[in-house]
Amino acid sequence: MRLRTLLACLAVPVTAAAQDGTWALTNARIETVTRGVIERGTIVIRDGIIETVGANVTPPPDARIVDLAGKRVFPGLIDLTSTLGLPSAPAAGGGQGGPGGPTAGQPASGTVRNVGLEPGRVIAEELRPAAADVRGARDAGITAVLVAPSRGAFRGLSALVPLRDDSATRYVVRSPVALHMGFEGAQGSGFGGRYPATLLGVIAYERQSMYDAQHHAAQQERYRAGVRGVSRPSYDANLDALVPVVRGALPAFFDANRENEIRRAVNIGDEFDLKLTVVGATEGFRAIDALKRASGVVVSVDFPRPTTVTGWSYRSTQRRALNDSAATDSAVRRMLEANAATLNTAGIRFALSSGGLRAGEFLGNVRKAIAAGLPRDVALQALTVRSAEIAGVGAQLGSIEPGKIANLVVAERDILGDSANVRMVFVDGIRYEVIPPAPSEARRAGRTGGGRAGEREEAGEMARVAGTWDITVTHGEGENRATLTATQSGSTLEGSMATELGTVQVTDGRVTGQRVTFTITLPISGQTTVIVFRGTVDGNRMTGDVDMGAMGSATFIGERKP
Amino acid sequence: MRTIAMVLAAAAFTATATPGTAQQRPAPRDTTTKRLSYPVPPAARLVAITNATIMTVAKGTIPKGTIVIRDGKIAAVGADVAVPAGAQVIDGNGKFVIPGIVDAHSHSAAEAINEGTQSITAQVRMEDVLRQDALGLYRELAGGVTTLNILHGSANTIGGQNATVKVRWGLPADSLLFEGAPPGIKFALGENVRQTNRTVLPGQERRYPRTRMGVEELLRDAFTRAQEYRREWQAYERARKSAKKGQAPVPPKRDLQLDALVEVLEGKRLVHCHSYRADEILMMLQVAKDFGFRVASFQHVLEGYKVADEIAAAGSGASTFADNWAYKLEAWDAIPHNAALMAERGVRVSINSDSDERARRLYQEAAKAMHYGGASEEEALKMITLHPAWQLGIDKRVGSIEVGKDADLAIFNGHPFAPAARVEMTLIDGRVFFDRNTAPTLEYLMELIRQQQGPRQVTEVVP
Repeated sequence: MRLRTLLACLAVPVTAAAQDGTWALTNARIETVTRGVIERGTIVIRDGIIETVGANVTPPPDARIVDLAGKRVFPGLIDLTSTLGLPSAPAAGGGQGGPGGPTAGQPASGTVRNVGLEPGRVIAEELRPAAADVRGARDAGITAVLVAPSRGAFRGLSALVPLRDDSATRYVVRSPVALHMGFEGAQGSGFGGRYPATLLGVIAYERQSMYDAQHHAAQQERYRAGVRGVSRPSYDANLDALVPVVRGALPAFFDANRENEIRRAVNIGDEFDLKLTVVGATEGFRAIDALKRASGVVVSVDFPRPTTVTGWSYRSTQRRALNDSAATDSAVRRMLEANAATLNTAGIRFALSSGGLRAGEFLGNVRKAIAAGLPRDVALQALTVRSAEIAGVGAQLGSIEPGKIANLVVAERDILGDSANVRMVFVDGIRYEVIPPAPSEARRAGRTGGGRAGEREEAGEMARVAGTWDITVTHGEGENRATLTATQSGSTLEGSMATELGTVQVTDGRVTGQRVTFTITLPISGQTTVIVFRGTVDGNRMTGDVDMGAMGSATFIGERKP
Repeated sequence: MRTIAMVLAAAAFTATATPGTAQQRPAPRDTTTKRLSYPVPPAARLVAITNATIMTVAKGTIPKGTIVIRDGKIAAVGADVAVPAGAQVIDGNGKFVIPGIVDAHSHSAAEAINEGTQSITAQVRMEDVLRQDALGLYRELAGGVTTLNILHGSANTIGGQNATVKVRWGLPADSLLFEGAPPGIKFALGENVRQTNRTVLPGQERRYPRTRMGVEELLRDAFTRAQEYRREWQAYERARKSAKKGQAPVPPKRDLQLDALVEVLEGKRLVHCHSYRADEILMMLQVAKDFGFRVASFQHVLEGYKVADEIAAAGSGASTFADNWAYKLEAWDAIPHNAALMAERGVRVSINSDSDERARRLYQEAAKAMHYGGASEEEALKMITLHPAWQLGIDKRVGSIEVGKDADLAIFNGHPFAPAARVEMTLIDGRVFFDRNTAPTLEYLMELIRQQQGPRQVTEVVP
């Protein structure tokens, strides 16, 4: 019903799922990101490029006009950590590293690939995205992704891919964007396996490769200078790929999340004067000094589990009270969610990325980062213009400006809010409708784009309670009002409730499907009273019962604050 | 909720902190505001430990003496040393102070130990994989250990470059490094390198070498390559100096593996060699002699007592276990008198842990050298302080309580070799990194339970 209404109002044929050509989006609230907000304006798109943007723009006669009736338009979001369209990893070759020097960068003999040790691997040539993956990300407002393998010491040369239905490779925005590096060793290595197998070997291998590349570059430059009698350097695709990296022409994107990983990556960057971008940085708040030494920072919102955080796996040594664990876990979780906010306060400019999360959870976690103190506008910049700059396409993407690629998102509400309701997405000026999934498909839709652990799959079925709610409790003696500020991690709900008797912690918060329960403890007339809320969430509304123990029961209504 | 840092900060402003007495514990409080932080102690500028029995190691024992620490260094030691005004005073009455214990063989604080894919991995560095949040570090502090030699494992003939660290628990990983310590490298001989205990899957090749002959061959081959590599660089340096302008030669390719071995050849990198049998120790000494370098320490060296004279003559140290033997074939001929016997023949002997657990009680391990081999008290004490420091090339900085040395100290509740001795406080650079008064021990947690009102669910008990 709703879909039909929308389509009728837009006056376009129902059959057209994707269309290119010349468009004029009128009566739009345009968030340009770089040039402020146009409360009611028009965007003209021609041949995939934004032609004009403004409040007083007359649509050209050949344009198809889409009257957006006050809907919001944002630049298409860019995710810099994606594996979309990558073939599943090819099997590692056999063989093993025998005795000999550590010389890196030499391809294994024959056709055996050395997966994870391939600086010369060109990702743009391998892309085969599944239509469902493309649509899953795009329907959330993501219009371009940077694709690189997620494991390996030298993962390859990434490609920035537009989320079009027709072809990913042909329309690649930029390739190579960067050499992608990490701390994983040779695939299938370990004892009796191939060098490098451990963190020890990986760092040595990476350093040796950089020295090899410096030497290779010097030989090439000398040879190209045309000095007669100079023997020519050997051909080596992997070393060739490293040459622009050690010459500072091509960035190295280094996957580093934990504090020590960040420091190690930055140390390598400093040693070889690389143009180094730290990707991940989920413990960036512990390594601000190191991040300030990097050329770029991409902050993942794939928050780690508290028990894996540096210093926290040994919490027992620091614990001061026996009931410390749960409370501190949640304190750590808050700190992790506040990572981006902390880095922003520290003056670090960064892009936000999914860290491999599927689109729904990606933006859900961005909201958590905002709830934890990251200014919403900074978050939007970090998902658009900052991402574009870090990917080297700041001139083409990331904001709504004339001359830029027409990657746009049309939504009912704020794209970073709880219910953006994305209605259509433009990629390269091609219009894609967002068809709201039928309820039975809603769960599955969330999985596209490479869902990961089973726990995340579960999360897709859960109500999202994170945010701020106006709560009204109605009981026999009248009404009481309160404000619930909640964060959610999987099925666990945490936060505080501001009541007329003061602000208290929310405890025992759980979300099961659309059901939510949580507890507060209030001193009522000198009595410590435990109050249990049990409700059902329906979008921005929750309703249910309140159990006040000896004081009886009540009902409550919650309205989510925008 | 107090962090340890806050507790220590509070202690720093208290006129007198008394280790080992029943002080009032900080009351448990709300924990929700607890921050994710390490207990980083404040840097005390001026500290005095008074009325303590000071076992200086280098210059005898002072029955009732004072140590003054200024800016992390020992400024004065003696029976008649005045406490300067403004000093933070640690009352050492009834306590014994020894130099911070140096463990010459440790794998604590490392995120990877063995790059076992090749038998020569001189290019890998332990300093690249240090972590500051390894629980073993804290336990080592509780055992009075202040300096560790973080070694690569023994899977390879030439393993990785070691990292000498101070146990600065709570500071970032790179702050652990012992600044100015000479670099070193791990070698290994015998069964581990030959991989005799390794299960080989069908179709999997066995790694070279399979015999002790092969181990020697690999060593000689590696150092021969290093010699050639050094000549290549020397030739380049000569060509560069004589080259016309604009015709500078391209430098040779840097090889991180051979760089490390050239440093060994040039005496700039200390060799710490895992070894058991007398024959392989003699082989290693011969290879070192042929290539002109010294083995700084033989590690484990359980048959060292058979070749103590040769080890002493080569100027090498020996770092052994007190009484740990027969856990593999090549450890069959070990005897607990090994440490004392080698010391008697003039070898500088240390007792090491090779274990996060044993590292907590190295003082007891050292005492065994007195029990079994009749080593003197001072000699036994040197085995965990001055001798390992000498083996690591840091004996000018640590290993004894002398003016000018780093204020790395362990304060015991009694004689460190007494069976019930335990560490009350551990200082590094004059900072209190461990204090049993504020450490979250099991007793302390039990005290918290008693203080808490009402039953609480205990989900986890701290070791």
